Amino acid sequence: MDLSTTVTVDEQNSVARVALDGALNTDTAPGFEKQLFEVLEGGHQLTVLDMKDLDYISSAGLRVIFKAAKRVKAAGRRMAAANRKPHIDKVFEILKALPDMAVFANEQELDDYLDVMQQRSRQERG
Amino acid sequence: MDYRLSRDDILERLQRESQETIRTVVIDMESWLAGVESSTQLLARVLEQRDYTEAGLVQILRDAVDVNDDIYGASIALVPSQPGIQPGFAPYFFRGDDALEYADLADPDYNYQHQAWYQDAVSAGEPMWVQPYFDDGGGKVLMTTYAVPVYRRNQAGERFMYAVVTADVPLRELHDYLQRLRLGNSGFGILLSRSGTVLSGRNPANIMRHYSDTLVEEPDHNSWQEMFEAALQGQVVTRQLTCAGVPGRCVIRLGALQSTGWPVGVVYSEDEMTAPLREFEVKTALVGLATLLLMAIAVATVTRRLTRPLTALALASDRFARGDLDAPLPAVKGNDEVARLVHSFAAMQQDLKSYIADLEAATARRSRLEGELGAAREIQMAMLPQGGEATEQAGAFSLWARVLPARSVGGDLYSYFLRDRRLFFTVGDVSDKGIPAALFMARAISLVQQLAADAADPGRAMASLNDALTNSNDNCMFVTVFLGILDLDRLELRFASAGHTAPSLVRDAQVRSLEQDTGPALGLAPGLDFPVNTLQLLPGDRLAIYTDGFDEAFNQRDEMFGVNRFNDALVAGRTLPTATAGAELFTSLASYVGESPQSDDITLLLLDIGRRDSAGWQTSREFPRGPRLTGRVEAWLRQELTQQSVPEQVIGELVLVAEEIVSNVDKYAGLPNDAGVRVMAFVNPLETGIEVIDSGAEFNPLAQSRRAELGAATDDAAIGGLGLHLITALTDRQSYRRADGCNILRVTKLLEPAQE
Repeated sequence: MDLSTTVTVDEQNSVARVALDGALNTDTAPGFEKQLFEVLEGGHQLTVLDMKDLDYISSAGLRVIFKAAKRVKAAGRRMAAANRKPHIDKVFEILKALPDMAVFANEQELDDYLDVMQQRSRQERG
Repeated sequence: MDYRLSRDDILERLQRESQETIRTVVIDMESWLAGVESSTQLLARVLEQRDYTEAGLVQILRDAVDVNDDIYGASIALVPSQPGIQPGFAPYFFRGDDALEYADLADPDYNYQHQAWYQDAVSAGEPMWVQPYFDDGGGKVLMTTYAVPVYRRNQAGERFMYAVVTADVPLRELHDYLQRLRLGNSGFGILLSRSGTVLSGRNPANIMRHYSDTLVEEPDHNSWQEMFEAALQGQVVTRQLTCAGVPGRCVIRLGALQSTGWPVGVVYSEDEMTAPLREFEVKTALVGLATLLLMAIAVATVTRRLTRPLTALALASDRFARGDLDAPLPAVKGNDEVARLVHSFAAMQQDLKSYIADLEAATARRSRLEGELGAAREIQMAMLPQGGEATEQAGAFSLWARVLPARSVGGDLYSYFLRDRRLFFTVGDVSDKGIPAALFMARAISLVQQLAADAADPGRAMASLNDALTNSNDNCMFVTVFLGILDLDRLELRFASAGHTAPSLVRDAQVRSLEQDTGPALGLAPGLDFPVNTLQLLPGDRLAIYTDGFDEAFNQRDEMFGVNRFNDALVAGRTLPTATAGAELFTSLASYVGESPQSDDITLLLLDIGRRDSAGWQTSREFPRGPRLTGRVEAWLRQELTQQSVPEQVIGELVLVAEEIVSNVDKYAGLPNDAGVRVMAFVNPLETGIEVIDSGAEFNPLAQSRRAELGAATDDAAIGGLGLHLITALTDRQSYRRADGCNILRVTKLLEPAQE
């Protein structure tokens, strides 16, 4: 099973959105790692991993996410996961992975979060 | 009979009496009239032969009347055609009120020559009785007259009529005679003249009238006419006609007087004549009735005296039947049958009382014992899993067992439990039955549960069970036991038998009794060995373990149920669930034995090894190392498991686990580049899983792998070592073994029970 990713960037809010479609496994993890780290190069405040169409994730895939999360956090930025399917969620749960990473159950939670982020950044600028 | 005879006698006597009466009256009358005739003819003969002067004639006439009481009056009427006798001479003497009186019939006022009696006698020329008439010449009474012509010869010798001598008979006297012919109240005599004039009848007023005007009813006119004419010719006739003034059947008997030729007879009511007979009949009937009544009273009295005790006895026995044993019996005296019956009843009453008292005591004892036995049965059944009838479902495995004791308590037992993927199950049959067997069974089952729980080997478990049971078994009770341990993963059954009936196995619609190496029954001698039998079971198999109470049950013709019949019933119910099939087997047995009492405890344990179609499936493939190794494994595994109808989620998790294992092997096993990794997938009714086999250096990832510490914050999270966590979390069991220079890692996920 393959993995395809779609990256959309909201420069105004400094949000990069990476949508995963397919399986993030031993085979696809290296390619995804390369792609994700390219996105992170963009230096956006928030990187959202949209797992709405992610069917499968193995420890190899999680390792990529771990590494990415570490880097983002080290740079003082944030990374979040959204729309995890139940069995994906189960893998995260088993591994108690990234307890401090924001997780959004659906688009609405993500949008709300983005709104809060925007207001905060305006206040900071203002 | 007597009555009939008497009736005929009476009837005959009555007839004889009436005939006698009639004859007497007729004879009297005949002799009277004959006397009148002979007296008159004597006078006539005297006058024939001797001449008298007129005075002499008067004198002789007077003497004749005076002498003959029978004659009312008489005359000598000279025939006037003779010379010198003009205008005639006819003296007449008759009986007056107290003396003879004289009358001259030649008196011109009377002139005998014009009278019928004279003329008739002259014209007849011979003696005759003239028609009755009223005489107004002298006697002034109704009379009839006997007239005799007197002839003389003149000088020339010519015979001429000289005179007519007459004698009178008053009808009243005739009537008086006839009055003696009274027959019954309304019977009467009748006397008629030759022309039918009534000379005497019932009513004196009818005298001188024609009989047809007085006696005869119109319809009987012809009958009377016939009778009358027959009587004139001298016949005696009897007729039954209706008569005025005569009640009932009127009998008329008519004859004629010889002298005068006058019809004479009687008219009477037959009913009145036979009245004495009726009276007799009524009397007889009354006497009969009275006798009957007396007899009835006597019989009733005797019967009541006899049956009164019987009635009372019947009432008493009814009360007996309702349970009232103190019902009083009738008092009887004597020694007749009834008295003896009552005495027998009294004896029975006593016997019954004491019998019932005994019975009540026995029943009380028995119900107490039954209560205790019932409690004992409950306790015993509580020793068996699920209280004597167990249903157990473990994945695709299904177990059902039931004990049916022959008495309240019994010596059969079964037990089972599941531990470490091993199903331990046992069936036992203690020798004998009832309470001793039950107590030994209690010992046996507690030892079974103690010893077998941690026994891995059925032979050793059996041996220790034997040693424990032999200890302090002075009664030499023994128990046959089947003890089996089924490896649920490999479906391998290892079992030992202590003299127990061979189990039956149903496979592919065929049934057979298993061949088994068996040891002796337990409890007799210590230190024995028990051989272990091994049997590979397959999904779909059904195993039946039972006690000999099943195959050695007898029907009413003393025929044994037998192993073959048991096996037939077993295979017949093979498609039913274990619980239903087991109950059916008990039903088959019950209908076979019918009314025969159950002679032994009966136990049956059925074990089903699932029937999932994909059960027992397995496949494997060698995957060469190289690009996309895990992808290839994943694709293959996903496809194979999907074909085996393994649930989607289970497949997903197994695929993930497979990737973790394979990628780990790929990275760390140090395999040469041209080597491969073998993956084996399996599915059975209970579970599915994979084995990953590699020829790398010996390494047990379960024990030796580094595991990442979980739950750390992002900063501290370990990048590696996560896979093992996933493997253990997503599968139920994991095992590692090293065999033939290969590492074999086996992981298994349990399946939910298949939906049949």
